[in-house]
Amino acid sequence: MLSTRLLTKRYGSLTAVEDLDLEVSGGELFGFLGPNGAGKTTTIKMLVGLLRPTSGSARVAGFDIMAEPEKAKARIGYVPDAATLYDKLSAREFLEFSGDLYHVERRLRDRRVETLLKLFDLQDRGNDFLSGYSRGMRQKVSLAAALLHDPQVLFLDEPTVGLDPQSARQMKDILQDFCREGKTVFFSTHILEIAERMCTRLAIINHGRLVAIGSLQDLRHMVGQDGQSLEQIFLELTGSREEDVSAVLRGLES
Amino acid sequence: MGLLLWRAQLRMFINQTLRSRQAGRLAGTITGAAVIVLAWSWEVIITWAGVQASHRVPMRIDMVALLSLAFLAYTAVLIFSSLVFSLNALLLNADLDLLLAAPRRVESILAGRMVAQVLRLLMLSLLFTAPALLVLAIANQSPLLLFAFTALYFLYPVFVVVIISVLSLLLVRFIPVGRGRELLTLFGVALALGINLLNFLLNPALRDSGFRRGAPPSLPDVPAASAPWLPSGWAGRAAAAILSGNWITASEWLLVMLAVSAVIFAIGTVLSGRLYLAGWIQAVPPRRRLPALARAHQRSGAVPLLDPVLASIVIKDWRMRTRDVAQLVRFVMPVVFIFVIFGLRWPRLLSSVRSLGEGPVAAMLGLVPVWVLLFSLSISLGLTAVSLEGKSIWVYAASPNSTLRLVQGKCWSAALPTATLVALVAVASEIVIRPGWLWATTAVLLAIALAAAVTTLMVGIGAVFARFDWTDARRMMHPAAAFIGMGLFSIISAASALLLGISIALAGATGLPLFTTWLAAMAVSIGGAVAVAALGILFGNQHLRELEVL
Repeated sequence: MLSTRLLTKRYGSLTAVEDLDLEVSGGELFGFLGPNGAGKTTTIKMLVGLLRPTSGSARVAGFDIMAEPEKAKARIGYVPDAATLYDKLSAREFLEFSGDLYHVERRLRDRRVETLLKLFDLQDRGNDFLSGYSRGMRQKVSLAAALLHDPQVLFLDEPTVGLDPQSARQMKDILQDFCREGKTVFFSTHILEIAERMCTRLAIINHGRLVAIGSLQDLRHMVGQDGQSLEQIFLELTGSREEDVSAVLRGLES
Repeated sequence: MGLLLWRAQLRMFINQTLRSRQAGRLAGTITGAAVIVLAWSWEVIITWAGVQASHRVPMRIDMVALLSLAFLAYTAVLIFSSLVFSLNALLLNADLDLLLAAPRRVESILAGRMVAQVLRLLMLSLLFTAPALLVLAIANQSPLLLFAFTALYFLYPVFVVVIISVLSLLLVRFIPVGRGRELLTLFGVALALGINLLNFLLNPALRDSGFRRGAPPSLPDVPAASAPWLPSGWAGRAAAAILSGNWITASEWLLVMLAVSAVIFAIGTVLSGRLYLAGWIQAVPPRRRLPALARAHQRSGAVPLLDPVLASIVIKDWRMRTRDVAQLVRFVMPVVFIFVIFGLRWPRLLSSVRSLGEGPVAAMLGLVPVWVLLFSLSISLGLTAVSLEGKSIWVYAASPNSTLRLVQGKCWSAALPTATLVALVAVASEIVIRPGWLWATTAVLLAIALAAAVTTLMVGIGAVFARFDWTDARRMMHPAAAFIGMGLFSIISAASALLLGISIALAGATGLPLFTTWLAAMAVSIGGAVAVAALGILFGNQHLRELEVL
């Protein structure tokens, strides 16, 4: 469903993502983890066609995102980190606009808009301008827009940021249902507990390079200690140094 | 504190220009510097010529009245910029909260911001007038002149900046944070209209007959400007004394200004601190829209003859333009200015045009207000059409549509309202002028066709210089796009007028039917504009294809 081959993105002398090889199958809920600035958002943006790779290739839903972007994008749903939406449109109008952009037939579009507004508990606020929405509500609208055209692959960048616990739980259920239909979810998150509980497979990226990929059990084998939490595995693989932090904090006190 | 803030602002400016390491920004900085040097040179030449002329032909000018009037006009600029600065800081930018979190007194922070604002205005004043002052200092052999004016420029804005800061803090007790942008826009519109109307009412060149020829130049009749109880009168007197070398009088007025500024600054600082600590409205409940209104919008979800993607872009843009005050102004302002410029003088202009009788010349003269409208609308809607997406561009960029489709949608969304308004004004104008139905019809058709072509061209230019990182609607338009757009508009207008003029001359010289040569000129004019517009779209699309949504 999704594959990358030596995918690389450079900004001048800075390498954001380097030689990334990934394979994600249909029905997988794939977690993409990494510290701040590791290259998660850059990778997702290359996979949804918002950024051009410097080298390498990526195929999504059977189409090369560079060679056939429109065919690939028609099968992709994307929820960005802190989505900027059109403030002066209502949620309903935004979803209708999104449906039109993805060539959803008008009557089907209207039916799906109502279903999604109801699903995300937004039907009472559906006619309010998005400028009055909280961050969590905007996140729900983004996810609704991403689901509207019934994509085969859903990319989500930090989808749970700003969501209350009920909404986060609801999103988790929706994503799991989505995967049960044989579709793929590819999402980045900082909340390792969510990734640990939800994902069928995980990848950890650090300084633009893939450092680990596999199921949670595979990752435990990789670091050589069974029973470790994902947080411990993550810290070990990304080289976070708790002792250094303590030393720096002691230095500030003196 | 003021110097600290000013230094931070200066650093930000340098980081965004000289230290940006971005070719585009460096080029922009160099171009900007070149323009400033050019303007300075021009100012030096003009001032020098003026000084020489005044030696040869002594003129009786009431310098106090003239300079007081200049300072009064400067006060309007100060009020506007200070209000925008203060309300921006209080309602829109988050940096004030960051400063106030520092372990310093609130009064010290607010006073610091006022000082930073005064220093910025001082630099701007010097930027505009330093070359002229330098020439005057050399011509008057008075090296102190520049320093005295610097002191004047430093002292004069203090009272405005302080009063506006205090008033802003009072205002935000009643204006919710979410309405700040709209309030600023409405204030800008009111000020622009006010200044234009005052200009029409007070400017002797416009007051009586509108466009008088041969009338001797005279100053607007505002006696209050030089009144000794107004700061503009003090500044006018100080400036006149500095220019005439009367240093004792100049010092007296400067000392008056220093004393008043110090008192106002001290009182204003204390008041600002108290007002800030009293707090203000931070939020309001979100706007709820009536279900009936929303249903009405739902029904209008299609545009005849347009496919759903293009129609959805047109409808979305229309909603964004008409629901946001800052965007709505782009529609309304040109129409209002048309009324101010032509509406107030309509009877006189109409009788002049009607005296030409029926024919193509009268029909074309009827298009003059249309052209002013087209200029405003094509620039304001066309050049900003693509940038209107702002940070939401990801929505389109992630969708399965080509960039050409986006540009096409934007052409429709800008050209439809422009051509419609142009057609309405053109029809109304031709009906009133009555140049003959045949000539009127061709003039209206020409206006509509050129409106569509020119607006399309502007969309293309706007796509080349698209800005998606704006938070303030005023920053949607790239200055280079505005410059190129205005230049091309002028060229197309001049070429069309020339072609139509040639067609009349050709008919007269060769005996060909005037209507035939006229239609030929129209066809060439429209064809040329369409060709340029097509090129604009190609360039714009090429640029957008390279776009990466960071």
